[in-house]
Amino acid sequence: MSRGLWTTTVGSFPKPPQLERARQQHARGEISADALFQLERDETVKLIKRQEEIGLDILVDGELYRGDMTTYFAERMPGFAISNPVRSYGNRYYRKPIAVGPIRRTKPLTVEWWKFAQSQTKQPIKGMLTGPYTMMDWSFNEHYPSREAMAMDLAAAINEEALALQEAGAKYIQIDEPAVSVRPDELPLAVKALGRAAQGLKAKTITHICYGDFDVIYPALLDLPVDQIDLEMANSRYDLLERFKAQPFTKEIGYGVLDVHNHRVETKDEVKQGILRGLEVLKPEQMYVDPDCGLKTRTMDEAFAKLQVMVDAVREVRTERGIGA
Amino acid sequence: MKIQTTLAGSYPKLPTEPGDVNVRVVRNRRDQGKATDQDVAQAVRDTTRRMIAIQEKAGVDLVQDGCAGWDDAQTYVARGLDGVRIAGLIRYLDTNTYYRQPEIVGDVKWKAPVTAEDFKAAKGMSSRPVKMLLPGPYSLTRFSKDLHYGDPVKASRAIGESLAKEARALEEAGATWIQFEDPWLGRATAADAPAIRAALAPVLADRTAKTVLNVPFGTPTGIFDSISDLPWTAIGLDLVEAPGGWDLLPRIPKGRSVALGLIDARNTRLEDATDVARSIARAASARPDLEYLLSPNASLEYLPADKAEAKVVLLVEAARLAARNGG
Repeated sequence: MSRGLWTTTVGSFPKPPQLERARQQHARGEISADALFQLERDETVKLIKRQEEIGLDILVDGELYRGDMTTYFAERMPGFAISNPVRSYGNRYYRKPIAVGPIRRTKPLTVEWWKFAQSQTKQPIKGMLTGPYTMMDWSFNEHYPSREAMAMDLAAAINEEALALQEAGAKYIQIDEPAVSVRPDELPLAVKALGRAAQGLKAKTITHICYGDFDVIYPALLDLPVDQIDLEMANSRYDLLERFKAQPFTKEIGYGVLDVHNHRVETKDEVKQGILRGLEVLKPEQMYVDPDCGLKTRTMDEAFAKLQVMVDAVREVRTERGIGA
Repeated sequence: MKIQTTLAGSYPKLPTEPGDVNVRVVRNRRDQGKATDQDVAQAVRDTTRRMIAIQEKAGVDLVQDGCAGWDDAQTYVARGLDGVRIAGLIRYLDTNTYYRQPEIVGDVKWKAPVTAEDFKAAKGMSSRPVKMLLPGPYSLTRFSKDLHYGDPVKASRAIGESLAKEARALEEAGATWIQFEDPWLGRATAADAPAIRAALAPVLADRTAKTVLNVPFGTPTGIFDSISDLPWTAIGLDLVEAPGGWDLLPRIPKGRSVALGLIDARNTRLEDATDVARSIARAASARPDLEYLLSPNASLEYLPADKAEAKVVLLVEAARLAARNGG
């Protein structure tokens, strides 16, 4: 029996309303950091249980304690300041990191959260980091003479954190690089920086990138020095599979089957069809089935309804095709 | 030398002073049922007033209304077009910002003015000429998903003809400057030339207002010969991210203007005014026959409000320094 089609998620989950309220209360000084921390831990425990209950193979801590995926790290690293709010769209704003000096990792950034999450389950929990290229590209730079210099300092810092996660026992370490796909001219820099960030890791390494100009960056994308590349497949109606027929995808793939930008819950049949189309081109042992991207923009009910459909669809395909987990 | 200062794109909507109107807060309150659409409209107007005041205080010659009511660079105007529906969020080029993608689902037709009232309001708040912003017609076409025409030239022409009517409405309201933000011109190749001309020719024909064709994030080198004869007043060059724009200077037709995008709108690091003035002098030395505008290379809304305001002050300081030095 072949094995494969393991199920997982890309990383973030929606923050429960009570946690959103608590974060706002903390920002206004109305509740203590300890009170917020306790609530984050309580909600993380619940989230891990729900992932177990629906039958996911590889879990995440859900990042309920993080705000923006770059700012969370920047707030904990010397060399960064945090800007006043910058708009991302409409009425949505975030505080953007500013490199104001040499960026260093002087303390663990995520390890304690990973240990806590792993202590709650026997299933593996992924270590989740933001990659050096994305951290650089999504920050202002008032210090470094070049984008490369900044990316490589970040890569060294993230490598220390990745090694610490591995030391703590993480078997899967995901270093997200969503910014990679929109600047094809800088793919070599992204490859170099990610290589430095993943240096010395024995754990399975993964990177998630968002949909971009694949006509330009594929198959050079396969140069990213990780074991697995996680891609949005459903959002692009699986059209990348045509590219893979002509130019085989040679790494493991995080195979996105849920559109995270849509409130609608997919049917089991459409997810199955997406997986079956993938199996025409990819081997089951290459495929880790997951949503297209982080689920933080969905409601918790939507997120788990989608994930349950995904897990059920995978189970049916495994049974029909004789694929073991 | 003669150089006018101006801005590009939109301006940060949030206040730097506590107690100032905060349109983000008002919109959030509206979404919670605690404020009305009228409250939001008033907050947008008050925000426009602040944006213009910041520019006037700094001494900007040609102020912009700042696009206080825009969610992104495309949909504020695209929502007003027949044949276009607004779909999901996608990333805006290589920025960490987003826009809702317009989808062309039928014949694109202009319905009614979208920006004319904004112009009238801004004009009433300013003692200086007000430059109004419209999406570049080629970029609006490229940012859209064409589910109807199946032909980039036809889609571009339809968008161009629709935006031409919006530009006419602005002129009828009294606008004397209109800027088209067209970043895709900096990414186009010669093969795109027919669609580009189909998009641009209608919006530039028969204009009474002066027009700026602004090209952030790139340089229109590859298609410049295809657009150089079109009747734009000024071309905006992003000389921060695309220094290749310097090579276009010798090719600018006589009698046109160049908006020198020399202030980095995508980084908080504040430029040295002397360096900027030196770059202005470089342009003036290369082409002393042209007229110049000085602007940021892109929308200052990529910056937090405090940093944007500092860049506006720097912009004017650099232009004055260049003028004192004789260009």
